[in-house]
Amino acid sequence: MRDRVLLAGLAGLTLLGLGGCATHSMPEPTASFANVEKLRTAQIRPAMVGTFMLAAGKPKDMDTTLGGLRSTSLAPAHGSFALQLRDTLVAELKNASLYDGTSPALIEGQLTDSFVDAAIGTSSGRLAARFTIKRDGHLVFDKELVVDEQWDGSFMGPVAIPDAIRHYEGLYHLLIGKLIDEPDFRAALVR
Amino acid sequence: MQGIATTFGRTLNVVLLAATLAALSGCIVPHFYVDDAVKEVPAANLRKTEPPHPVQVMFEFQTKGAPNAKATEVLKARVLAQIKDSSVFADVSEAPVADGALLSIQINNVSLTDDVARKGFGTGLTFGLVGTSVDDGYICTLTYHADAQAPALVSQARHVLHTTIGNTSAPLNGTPVASAREAAELLTRQVLSQALNDLTHKTDFR
Repeated sequence: MRDRVLLAGLAGLTLLGLGGCATHSMPEPTASFANVEKLRTAQIRPAMVGTFMLAAGKPKDMDTTLGGLRSTSLAPAHGSFALQLRDTLVAELKNASLYDGTSPALIEGQLTDSFVDAAIGTSSGRLAARFTIKRDGHLVFDKELVVDEQWDGSFMGPVAIPDAIRHYEGLYHLLIGKLIDEPDFRAALVR
Repeated sequence: MQGIATTFGRTLNVVLLAATLAALSGCIVPHFYVDDAVKEVPAANLRKTEPPHPVQVMFEFQTKGAPNAKATEVLKARVLAQIKDSSVFADVSEAPVADGALLSIQINNVSLTDDVARKGFGTGLTFGLVGTSVDDGYICTLTYHADAQAPALVSQARHVLHTTIGNTSAPLNGTPVASAREAAELLTRQVLSQALNDLTHKTDFR
């Protein structure tokens, strides 16, 4: 009996330890092949990328920290999730030879939602931003885009938390993929 | 910082779970076996581009289809070096190249064993008396555009990593390796060579 109690206690302590209380940092933004392939066939002109910031009226910490990961949190690579989105877009454009720092076409953005929930059963994540494009100073595109994902959430933290982080990080590429798919985006940058 | 086992795959989480739960007893060591069915194809067997031209290479490691940035970072240099050393292309670059040739390499880690986490948990709680054997699948997909206008050529190869923990016998069809990292590096090299061999022998490869 004493052994069973000891075993249960050790298992409990270890599980608590596995849950961790850490802050993970997102990796440096990179391009995804899916988006680079889309951009290469989109028949659009090179663009430059301007300011990305948190949308007005949103809670300030939405841009800097991400909860919903049980006792773990996630931080952007360079202090701002809006900047993470910007740098991901820059990486995608550069890998498709479509980034030009002197282009008259300017893409900017405002982060409007950033969310993850590593819940047991069904975990979920969401990322949203309002994108604008100006050509020669004139607004030619203005749209808010949202991506949502759901996946199976393990009851064990060491499984569920890395899973949730990977899915959340993937949302950045999904959101930019959705932007590239927008007919109005392509029209705004038509050659 | 995530451990190397969690870095490389969902199924390998079983290692972390079992080993951590049993760490106080010191009785469990995970053993890794790279499946024998897939061998490395020598670079000499690969067909070279004709005329030789450079290529832009993009590499991504995925776990159940979701990007795994940490594993990508760990393996990327070796993957790029393998493509470069194969001499299939005149040069290998992460940046776009003049004629727009682009090679995407994706390795997706999928679980081949049901209820993996529960099995690892059970092994840990019994301090290894009840052993666990789990299999990880790795699907390597190459997508290649010979130039900016060329259609995509796609090749795929598969590999398996067997992991045992606790009191269970070694698989008959696996080569033992010392660590999760060594296993990931070896199977990546083998599965990539197989996919590259298939790609370079396609009729439209140039």
